[in-house]
Amino acid sequence: MEEQLRDIGNKAVDHAQKLGAEDAEIYLYMENHTSVKFIGGIFASRSKAVKGFKGTIARIAEPWIKKKGIPIISSGTKAGVGIRAITNKAIGFSSVSSLEESRVLEAVEEAVKIAKIRPPDPNWVSLPDPRTPNEKGGIFDKRVADLGVDRILEMSANCCVVAGDFDKRIIQAMSMITADSIVFGVVSTKGTEVFDKGTLFSAYIGTKGKSDGEEVSGGDFILSRTLTENVAPIAQSASRKTVECFGKRPLPEKHVGTVVFENESWGQLFSVIFTAGISGYNVQENRSVLKSKMGQQIAKENVSILDDGTLPEGVGTTKMDDEGVPRQKTPIIEKGVLTGFLYDNYAARRESRESTGNASRRRYPTAPYSNQPLVRPSNLILEPGSSNLEGLLSEVKNGVLVKGSLIGAGHSNTVTGDFSVSADNAFKIENGAVVHPLKACTIAGNLYQALNSMVAIGNDSRTFGTVINPSVAIEKIVVST
Amino acid sequence: MPNTCNSMSGRDVMSSQIQDLMDKAIQHALTVGADFAEAKGEDTTTRNIEAVNKETRTVSQIRNMGIGVRAYWGKANGFSFSNMLDRESVLRAAEAAVRIAKVSSRKTLMKLSLAEVKAVKEKKATNASRHPKDVSLDEKKDLCLRQCQTAMEAGKQIANVRSIFGEYHGTIYYANSEGTDVSYEPLLIGLTVGCVAKKGDLIVDARDVHGGTLGLTAFEEEKHTPEKMAENAANWALEKLKAKPAPAGKFDAVIDQSLAGVLAHESFGHLSEADFVVVGGSPLTGKMGQKLGTDIVTIVDEGLPQNGGYNLPFDDEGVPCRHVEILKNGVLTHYLHNRMTARVLRMEPTGNARSQDYSFEPIVRMRNTYFATGNHKPEEALSELKQGIYAIDTAGGQVQETGTFLFKAIRGYWVEKGEKKYPLRDVALTGNILELLKNVEAVCNDLEVSSTPFGGCGKIEQRAYVGTGGPHMRIKDVQFGGAR
Repeated sequence: MEEQLRDIGNKAVDHAQKLGAEDAEIYLYMENHTSVKFIGGIFASRSKAVKGFKGTIARIAEPWIKKKGIPIISSGTKAGVGIRAITNKAIGFSSVSSLEESRVLEAVEEAVKIAKIRPPDPNWVSLPDPRTPNEKGGIFDKRVADLGVDRILEMSANCCVVAGDFDKRIIQAMSMITADSIVFGVVSTKGTEVFDKGTLFSAYIGTKGKSDGEEVSGGDFILSRTLTENVAPIAQSASRKTVECFGKRPLPEKHVGTVVFENESWGQLFSVIFTAGISGYNVQENRSVLKSKMGQQIAKENVSILDDGTLPEGVGTTKMDDEGVPRQKTPIIEKGVLTGFLYDNYAARRESRESTGNASRRRYPTAPYSNQPLVRPSNLILEPGSSNLEGLLSEVKNGVLVKGSLIGAGHSNTVTGDFSVSADNAFKIENGAVVHPLKACTIAGNLYQALNSMVAIGNDSRTFGTVINPSVAIEKIVVST
Repeated sequence: MPNTCNSMSGRDVMSSQIQDLMDKAIQHALTVGADFAEAKGEDTTTRNIEAVNKETRTVSQIRNMGIGVRAYWGKANGFSFSNMLDRESVLRAAEAAVRIAKVSSRKTLMKLSLAEVKAVKEKKATNASRHPKDVSLDEKKDLCLRQCQTAMEAGKQIANVRSIFGEYHGTIYYANSEGTDVSYEPLLIGLTVGCVAKKGDLIVDARDVHGGTLGLTAFEEEKHTPEKMAENAANWALEKLKAKPAPAGKFDAVIDQSLAGVLAHESFGHLSEADFVVVGGSPLTGKMGQKLGTDIVTIVDEGLPQNGGYNLPFDDEGVPCRHVEILKNGVLTHYLHNRMTARVLRMEPTGNARSQDYSFEPIVRMRNTYFATGNHKPEEALSELKQGIYAIDTAGGQVQETGTFLFKAIRGYWVEKGEKKYPLRDVALTGNILELLKNVEAVCNDLEVSSTPFGGCGKIEQRAYVGTGGPHMRIKDVQFGGAR
């Protein structure tokens, strides 16, 4: 595959030069994608127990998914190129969902045409110079690449059964398992010609429970470069996270104080807000409150954050970024002091520095080749502390524990860091222990202030897309039900 | 220009090539055993121009072509796609779709049958006054630069201005083994301007946006000239520098058209999508005919709205998009269906099967969802508000299956005795839609529906262009999250 991409890349580069482009960069991408989703499965073993079907006969009649589950299965190949052509400091971008030579050359013509009618961009310096990519890149697990629809369907189904068997109050599940294998590369007039391949496996299961008229929900997931053979544990934990929410009560009064965010909940706020704030481009554009804070203490001393595109098995680890620049380690906060921002080539050259290898075109659900590079973390790591979640809770006299997915995290103010989100899986903490689940509550705060009032950091790090972080305890957060 | 002619004839060749491959895919799927097969073909172009602080930052064009095939076999269906438009690749996709259906059929007990529909053969053209494909890139770029210019001059505290123009158009084809063969020309344009204002450590932002199935003449109308929009965004941002944090608690509220739209779409519309109803996942399950809102609340979902939005004549199962009143005078009267859910619930298909593009399977999606117009005058809705919040515009929202929602209004005012007292910073509204609908006290007569090519709605990892809207509305006891 790589050879075919390389060949098309070189032809496209030649064509761009022939048409008068001073420089050109071709991003090539190909993905084999298989996904299996089940919406709303109801479980055979569960319905047997409730409706009193007779043992094994019903088991045969109803293998596992009872009537109402809808499977949605998709499998296919997506490929294309994204072209940046440069004339007189003006960049033209064009992309096409094809690897067919004639279509690609047409797209090259479009890119050159756009570059020619655009005014020069005074911030543009040049495309990245060719560099040797890192030896180790994306993990390619043949087991993920070869995972067939049959096998994924089996795993998906098993998840639903396990989730339903966990507790009789579980009434429904939705599962989604995907396997992707990706080849991508960058070829440019500068002499860059780099390729990498990798696999990605993800499984998600969400469950819903009902008891005495009360409905609760929860979920769990796995995201990794390699195959997880047994996904049943996440089905169990999804159901556990659901049923532990029965018996929700409101907060007696508005809580202003300590909130413990479970790793998943914190990961959402961390990835949405902090990712935007440390983008060198956003800093240049006055879109970050971190502007002019370099070298200053912006967080408590226990907070250290780095971006590591070389992390073994990291979901964001590749040999090079989406502009062909090798991935690297970039310290962002060291013991509370702001030490660095992330850059792609454009933002870096604008202030005469080197790209940190953080150009990304991946913005799901769009195809990467249809996007121009933006500054994004690879694996943004909040360094773990020493205690587990129970340890974090034990220090809290009166507070709130927030778990699971937050509603509205994506709508946080990425410029100021303000967030106001709603949580369906939250709990009251008294004297170091969870006392009862809370009715849907609103949680408001500011991420940058939170870095300064992060009193404890857990040791239970997990990967959530481009961030890896543990659970944290933060003071001065407002919660109301 | 010879170039233009070449590319036009190129498109025609593409069009017949795609249709020919779709036919082959359907035939092949039947040959290898499918009971029913359908194909979606596509050749669309998206262009984006972005200007930041008087500089043109991005000009891009994305051409997206490919074919998706869905086959039904036994109890199930399977989906596959290819953007390699050669015979071999497309036939392989057809085969994969049938193979998946066979695998899936062994694993499911619920037979996926389709509601019957009349076969349709139709080609729908889209006419727009100054269609973006006929307007030069230069002129579109100038729309953005004009916005930047105006906004930058609005005040020293304006720290950053960003303007984006977007367009999406082309042709979408659908055919199936029952003889339906349709095509239409989607069209969507949008212009948005965002301003960041800064004073000391305080950073705030505001925006204005306009879009829909429109030609470029849309930005010649007084209300939506680039200059007027930029002036709005800049003034609103400057005003927010003086804004106070919104208080937390329950207040009566007046919401504007944009916020009403998000409420109609995100909080209620998604619950009415019949795939979630069929599996019992929606709180609207079993509530057909029940009174869920006050008498004045009517919520519509349709493909061809009169008051702006995104025009969609057919869905991605080739079904004509029906005008659907989901909620009529407070009573639940319809769900939104694809052919499968309509069959399961023994209801009429509504034309709500949609996919992001050929590489995604169609699922139940909304089209243009809005609160229907009422009788109230907007100025009265506000003057009758004794004490509360006037919440305006939103960058979106999110909703749980249970109907719990969170929306963030971009702007707002604290209102006392019917008068705006002072501006508020980002205001978060939360609650449960089914409770909220019972608290709607006034629906105004200023309905607006809008749609843009920026973002769109996300569901099960697919994005779709949608229109949303409504008139101004007054609602009692809305939970505001407040700021810090």
